[in-house]
Amino acid sequence: MYGQLIVEGLSIGACYAVFGIAVVIIYKTSEVINFAQGEMAMISTFVAYHILNVYGWPFWYAFIGALFFAVLLGVFIEVCFLRPAKDPTVLGLIVITLGAEMLLMGLASWKWGAEQKDFALPFSFHKTHELFKGVVINDWSIAVFVMAAVLMIFLYIFFRYTKLGVAMRATQQNEHAARIMGIKVERVFSFAWGFSSLIGALAGMFFAARSTLDPAYMMEPFLRAFAAAVLGGLMSIPGVVIGGGILGILENFVGFHWPAWKPIVAFLVIVAVLCIRPSGLFARHYEKKV
Amino acid sequence: MKGKGRFWAVLFTISSLVLWTGIGLCGAPGFDDKEIRIAAWGPQTGPAAPWGSVARAPAVLAAMINEQGGIHGRKLKHFVRDDQYNPAQTKVVVKELVEKEGIFSFVCGTGSAGGLAVKDYLAQNKVIWVGPATSVKEYVFPVQPYLFSVYPLYEDEGSILTKYVIEKLGIKEIGVVYQNDPYGKNGLDGVRQRLDHLKMKAVAEIPVEATEKDLSSHVLKLKSAGAKAVLMWVHPTTGVVLVKTAATIGYKPQWVASNTLSDFELMNKISGGLWEGIITGAFMLPPDSDDPRVVKYREAAKKYAPEERFGVFFMAGIMFTEPLVEALKRVGKNLSTEAVLKALNSMKNFQGVGPKLTWSPDQHQGSDSIQIWKCGPGGKTILLQDWTVNELAHWKKK
Repeated sequence: MYGQLIVEGLSIGACYAVFGIAVVIIYKTSEVINFAQGEMAMISTFVAYHILNVYGWPFWYAFIGALFFAVLLGVFIEVCFLRPAKDPTVLGLIVITLGAEMLLMGLASWKWGAEQKDFALPFSFHKTHELFKGVVINDWSIAVFVMAAVLMIFLYIFFRYTKLGVAMRATQQNEHAARIMGIKVERVFSFAWGFSSLIGALAGMFFAARSTLDPAYMMEPFLRAFAAAVLGGLMSIPGVVIGGGILGILENFVGFHWPAWKPIVAFLVIVAVLCIRPSGLFARHYEKKV
Repeated sequence: MKGKGRFWAVLFTISSLVLWTGIGLCGAPGFDDKEIRIAAWGPQTGPAAPWGSVARAPAVLAAMINEQGGIHGRKLKHFVRDDQYNPAQTKVVVKELVEKEGIFSFVCGTGSAGGLAVKDYLAQNKVIWVGPATSVKEYVFPVQPYLFSVYPLYEDEGSILTKYVIEKLGIKEIGVVYQNDPYGKNGLDGVRQRLDHLKMKAVAEIPVEATEKDLSSHVLKLKSAGAKAVLMWVHPTTGVVLVKTAATIGYKPQWVASNTLSDFELMNKISGGLWEGIITGAFMLPPDSDDPRVVKYREAAKKYAPEERFGVFFMAGIMFTEPLVEALKRVGKNLSTEAVLKALNSMKNFQGVGPKLTWSPDQHQGSDSIQIWKCGPGGKTILLQDWTVNELAHWKKK
């Protein structure tokens, strides 16, 4: 039973991690926690649902269409909501993301209704493979593991070895210095929002396949992903992945032995990390000089 | 100076009109010779919005009645307000309806926390409330003179369903998953009531929060405890996550659920067909039934609310309103709050599309029975057991 608990914990943890990466990408460039992240993923998943059910297109067309929409949505929110803010503080920008969250949820309720919908991926929940005796893994979990691993490797290379990745890191560390060095900071922000929205949409589709699709379905996964990001370190991509895994396993063990305590595990993790090691387990803490 | 004087005169006139209008409606009896004003609140937006159709459905019943000339010459006017499933908002919309619109009676009213927040306010203003769209013991124990409950208690449902599982299905290893709130705990109390009576114990009792999306540990706990039947009092999404998760690890118990998960068309669709074979309690006739009363409502819904899906929640809104309409008919032309209270208090074995209802001045819990359904292929309803009473019910022995 414990073997199965670990497999289930790691698979949901990997999904938290992928979504946590979306949170981290925006944080890495602007130090803003995007509270609309869940709802951006929700809207993009609804777009996939719409393409599948209204237009009747094959899944992969809907999948790619939703990812394309997610990029546009991320850029749109950055350009139309955050950029016009006058003399913005980080807190002010966070409040704007909260407003965007409510707007997107209202929009989804108006367009697709509040009733739950079924959203299925080609990676079936029902198709299982025996790893060891009594321990099975399903296609959904395998797909999540592969997605998390590919993303982690891609992003590691991207932030370390590409000009755009380095520009994003530079923008986060000192926006003014980045401007002086010729980095087009606005473009970096737009790219970060578009890219983060795309990764969020990927995770959103996996979460919808695991439960149901409705305008509020990403509220709880966002909190878990945020906890995973805080645990691993809001600046560290590998940290978020490891944080997601730890959180998934921890939640499953607590849920198995003390189910009533499971919902607060993520919050305890956030509080404990902020008290003991605010930069997270794997992120280096940068002191900013005045 | 002249201009200033005119300004103050206009302001005074407008203020007087506003005050007069407000005072005029505040405390109004909620009816006149032409209409009777009824109202319902419910979440029309936000996470609980799927239950919002309950509050909209009485408009269909009102339209049907109005088409036939109303009740003793008076038309029914139905108001709907969105409380977003937020008790603070429930207070605001109910106050607005009572003091600005002048409501004779509320019907439905979704959400136990919201209902508890306005129950005393409605009683203080002598506004009748028939058929709250949830089962809360505090609504009716002790008796609230203006509040009449239609919904069977989850405790009774739990007891009846457990009896069915043990006696009809022959399953003794029972697990329970319950939402960690009064709804879930009342269901759990019912299971325990029946098991205590039979000197048995559940193999697992697992609490769950409505927002949880990963329930692998819960399902693994049920499996390791050897539960062969799992009874659940949970949110529809939680129910779907439970059956999906169980399917991934090859765990196949007999799932049995509360009536809140009996919208088979919806549940079967959102679970990807996994709802088939699941047994639930039910507090009214199936929406796809051929019963003439249901057919009549289904046709009316097509005519007056074609945009609505005629599912369990929508039809429930009509069912909760039926007894008020019956009381208004019995009262006759001389309408008053006292006369309708008298008619409701003397209602005996009234049956619309829900269970038989009996109220008396000392007992405002109207129903004590449920049906038992099974989800058939394509979300069709299979009736397993007709109206069944919980013979162990504590409240009837008082």
